[in-house]
Amino acid sequence: MARLAVKPLVRRHSEIGIFLIGAILVVYFSATSGGYWANLYNFGTIMQQTSTMGLMVIGLALVITTGEIDISVGSTFGIGALVYLWLALRVDPVLAALCATAVGAAIGTFNGVLVTRTNTPSLIITLGSLMIFRGLAIALTSGFAFSIPYKQRGAFSYWLLGGDTLLGFNTALIWLVVALIIFSAMLRLMPWGNRLLAVGGSSDSALSRGVRVDRIKLSAFILCGALSAFGGVLEAGKLGSADGSMGRLMELQAIASCVLGGTLLAGGRVSLIGALAGAFVLSSIQSYLVVMGVAPQWFMVLLGVIVVAAALGDRSLQQWALRK
Amino acid sequence: MASSQPLIQVKNLDLYFGSFHALKNVSVDFRAGELVGLVGDNGAGKTTLIRVLCGLHAPTSGEVYFDGARVTTFHPKLAIDFGIETIQQSVGLCDNLSIARNFYLGREPVKRILGIPFLDFRVMRDMSAKVIRQFGLRDNVSVDDEVERLSGGERQSVKIGRAVEFKNRVVIMDEPTNHLSVREREHVNELAVQLKEQGLLVIYITHDIFQVHKLADRIVIMENGEVVKDARTTEMSAEALEEVIRHGGRVVEKRSAK
Repeated sequence: MARLAVKPLVRRHSEIGIFLIGAILVVYFSATSGGYWANLYNFGTIMQQTSTMGLMVIGLALVITTGEIDISVGSTFGIGALVYLWLALRVDPVLAALCATAVGAAIGTFNGVLVTRTNTPSLIITLGSLMIFRGLAIALTSGFAFSIPYKQRGAFSYWLLGGDTLLGFNTALIWLVVALIIFSAMLRLMPWGNRLLAVGGSSDSALSRGVRVDRIKLSAFILCGALSAFGGVLEAGKLGSADGSMGRLMELQAIASCVLGGTLLAGGRVSLIGALAGAFVLSSIQSYLVVMGVAPQWFMVLLGVIVVAAALGDRSLQQWALRK
Repeated sequence: MASSQPLIQVKNLDLYFGSFHALKNVSVDFRAGELVGLVGDNGAGKTTLIRVLCGLHAPTSGEVYFDGARVTTFHPKLAIDFGIETIQQSVGLCDNLSIARNFYLGREPVKRILGIPFLDFRVMRDMSAKVIRQFGLRDNVSVDDEVERLSGGERQSVKIGRAVEFKNRVVIMDEPTNHLSVREREHVNELAVQLKEQGLLVIYITHDIFQVHKLADRIVIMENGEVVKDARTTEMSAEALEEVIRHGGRVVEKRSAK
């Protein structure tokens, strides 16, 4: 009887798998790290990483929901950080953050317009922009880092933009929670979300009902660019400096987070909270390796193993749930 | 009674997909209050023609008039705004969305809170529930169920129910009775006639000339992308029309082969 109740729940909520994995890992990491992993300070660090990556993950999840993909998010994240750092001292941090986010939106527009106007696979287009904007970031910084001197980071605006903590948590978490609430509401409670999901489920059917498929896809790309760049702003706000390699390979973690969190790569199914749980799991693993003194190079290996294992595990969980 | 001014007028329409000539110089009129059977074999161009009328394809050349005004841009949104509801064969429902969400896709009712448009779930649920019950969906199917769970007949019923609910000026039905039981089929055919009697233009696409001959005022037969016959049902029997479909444009070729 209890199993009968669990199955529909698992069927409806593809994100359950990642919460199970997260819970198991938290218990395991806490038990095996002798208190170095499971403490408030470390948890705060994990949440900070989850937050900045989480903004990118929300944006990417929206694009994946439409059946497209954006692998340029890591480069956009880096560009966002650099634009913010470059402008923060010259103008004003808040204005700098707005400009950086706008640049991210522009990169999203670039991707979205090319994908929808030319019907080229988004994987190719955003692979191109991944390289273009990474290349620009490295070329324009020419090996130097942009930074804000520590003593100049006192203002409230720096605090607000990831520069400090509230109750032990980096202020980036506030932004993440706000973004999660707003985008979950847009996705589930507004016409835009209904159309976004429809486009991912069947773009032909959505089109036949008069949905402007191209505009919906474009809006997802723009939001993805803006959110990724804003994630970069908050990361730069925390670190106070960035170089041209900021955000490198983050696109892979972001895609993994979405998939682990129950977002279907083919589109039409998404869980923002699940994707964020995915980001939390990846940040947790990374931090576990750090506190255990494992060389960070192993992170990629472990990330790969976890992604494959989780994908297989999730598949069997879903198949079990679908069986009568 | 059909009006004299055509509601939809298609003039010398050509449509190419790459080098494939899908519609060849098609000219046909449709009037309000008329039930027109669009008949022909697979690949005759019936579906392609209605995909132009519902805005999915733009013609390569030729003209389309709606209510006397020339149509210059083709998009399903514009067709729906004109009042053209289409029941398509293969598309129209998104498997990943609930019945209620599918029902209102593209025209979602909203409640504004602080000016922000939120979906009005009550309207969406109530209206779609009323309609799917009329169309005889099982009682254990809820409007919150994803369409994925529905059988072929139920999916068709949702599409037909939706078109009838939002009917405006034109209802185009592409093989509406596929996947339906005998009783459901009769129901759909009755509906088509009712819609016509309410003054709508109904374009009914089918393979089955005998079925549509009973309902329609006029039959348009297509073959190889061309209109080969346009006749009133009072003037030509179903048998005679079937003969046209069977031989169609090939009659001449066959004779010369002899």
